[in-house]
Amino acid sequence: MDKLSEKYLRARKIPSTACSGCGLGQAHKAFVQAIDELNFGIDDILWGTSIGCSGRQTFGTWKGDNFAGTHGRVYAIARGLRLAIAPEMKIVLTVGDGDAFGIGLNHLLHAARTNTQMTVLVCDNLGYQSTGGQYGWTTPPGVKTDSSPYGMYEPNWVQSGRDVLNIIQAAGATFLARHVSMEGRPLVDTLKKALQNNGFSLVHCVFPCITNFAKNALGSRNSVNMFNWVRNHAAPLGQEAGGREIFWRTGIYHDASNTRAEFSQSVKEKTAEIQREVSG
Amino acid sequence: MKRFLETGNFAVTEGAIMAGCRLFAGYPITPATEIAEAMSVELPKVGGYYVQAEDECAAMHIAVGAAAGGMKTMTATSGPGFILYADPYGWAIGCEIPIVVLNSQRVGPVSGITGAPGQGEFYNSRYPTQGGNYETIVLAPNSAQEAMELTVEAFYLSERFRTPVTVLADQLITDGLEDISVPETDEEKTAMGMRFVERKVNAGPDFYPPSDAIDIPPVVLGKGTGAMCSDWTPTEEGYDIETVEAHHKHSYRMIYKIRNNRDVITRYEELFLDDDPELIVVAYGTPSRTVKTAVKKAREKGVKVGMIRPVSLWPFPDEAFTRKAIYLTVELLYDGQMVREVQRATPCDSPVHFFGKCGELPTVTELHETFDKLLRGEPLGRIGWEREAW
Repeated sequence: MDKLSEKYLRARKIPSTACSGCGLGQAHKAFVQAIDELNFGIDDILWGTSIGCSGRQTFGTWKGDNFAGTHGRVYAIARGLRLAIAPEMKIVLTVGDGDAFGIGLNHLLHAARTNTQMTVLVCDNLGYQSTGGQYGWTTPPGVKTDSSPYGMYEPNWVQSGRDVLNIIQAAGATFLARHVSMEGRPLVDTLKKALQNNGFSLVHCVFPCITNFAKNALGSRNSVNMFNWVRNHAAPLGQEAGGREIFWRTGIYHDASNTRAEFSQSVKEKTAEIQREVSG
Repeated sequence: MKRFLETGNFAVTEGAIMAGCRLFAGYPITPATEIAEAMSVELPKVGGYYVQAEDECAAMHIAVGAAAGGMKTMTATSGPGFILYADPYGWAIGCEIPIVVLNSQRVGPVSGITGAPGQGEFYNSRYPTQGGNYETIVLAPNSAQEAMELTVEAFYLSERFRTPVTVLADQLITDGLEDISVPETDEEKTAMGMRFVERKVNAGPDFYPPSDAIDIPPVVLGKGTGAMCSDWTPTEEGYDIETVEAHHKHSYRMIYKIRNNRDVITRYEELFLDDDPELIVVAYGTPSRTVKTAVKKAREKGVKVGMIRPVSLWPFPDEAFTRKAIYLTVELLYDGQMVREVQRATPCDSPVHFFGKCGELPTVTELHETFDKLLRGEPLGRIGWEREAW
């Protein structure tokens, strides 16, 4: 265990149950690093997770309070929790791409609309990998999976001039960014900004899946190939040119941190105002 | 004591606030919308929050989330919304989060008739989520006044058993205007039989003791206790685990904390059972009021008929059904649901019959005709689809 793990994570959950070579640990570690650099303690963070690789491998790792919710609904659970717990306590959620951009998208948009404080790290392994490797809503075009054996031919949420982050921005999110998991320092810096926004923040982080995605899409479980493949299909925003096929434009998409009232704060202020009117 | 001429929706809101409910999350649906509206008016006055969700699934998740954060919370819906509660209902059962759910039943299936009473969620309320391995608590009022009192009781039971509790009402109860007495002092509340309990916090390290004990405080997130709760099978400390042994312990608690403490929950009303009547009529909710009138009037004519009204539907009050007699269940649906439970609970040699209505109450005359036929040993079949199937 390294120092960060010792400080923040439960020993019995290390090593995690992730498959060998999984990139999820990079994303998870970056989040803990960001928390540490902001000097948050165990009791400052309530950590929520959901179902699938991202949820299952992360649940119960945080030494403080944590929960795992139903698939796609953790944003609604978090909105309830946000009203119940102390305003200074941060809610962080590590969820999967299916959870965020498929089954949970509507709830996610309403969390963004209301600008409810939660820092959502979407850990995206490009499909439904814990159920064996079916295509998802960010699976790149042409990629073979167990449920797209002829290649992914449905439009997805990140290509063809369509970007789910734009939808979430239009819904009202106040911080949005994208990275791939091997971008260690930029990812940590972005997560620090996300955590400092008292509102709805989402960071989309693509990470390599060796067991299912690499096997189906790249034809082998060679983890070096998979890591390079992800890295080679990502480029910082504005630097997409250069002959490579770019799937993921990385960096901060939208930063309107702390420009709009946070949901629970607004509700509490309005409630106090009504109480004053009624009693006065 | 305050007195109002108001709807059941108003009564439920009064009861919930009295019991300490400080967050209501809902999604508009007839005939439960007025509960949401009343909550949006009343909750802020006591420092509580009303949240209108994007759908029913989110509504209950928001309410359960706030309950997991330590608040007493509630949601209300009708049948089409109640089925969308299946997901968060399961989460609340599995994570043992107390919360109160009101379902105002209307005619179904699906949207059916929005403004007519039904009783189609009798079984759905018993099995509100997937997977089995649990028991549920369901209370069924038959008046606006009782809706208020059972809402208070639902909060009490949900805390003691740390589980969701459903108040299974119907459209006539939530929409109907009635005389309602709202207690103001502790003495008045006690005189009404109201019970209250505060939310406590389970500080761990064992969040899920493998026993049938009640009065164990629920997990509350956000208190820095290192609390864990998830939809997976938990260890005692809350970690997720995939062993059948751990699931056995988990299910044992889900089932037997309720079965072994039935005496805290079970309640029913009996009428004219002391002289071993030949016919016993069974009904819950609004139709039980017409049945009561019919039974009283039949008695005046010397007919030996009695009545049982289950108030706690789940656990089903089996102990009320020990007498040998002809049984008749009266329900607001045509397929008959409670009739099966009555068949199960009654002595083997007691025939059980069914009288169904849909979207409207039975009349006293119809009920008297039915009583007479049964006591003469005649079949109940009337016309076509109204034929008795039992």
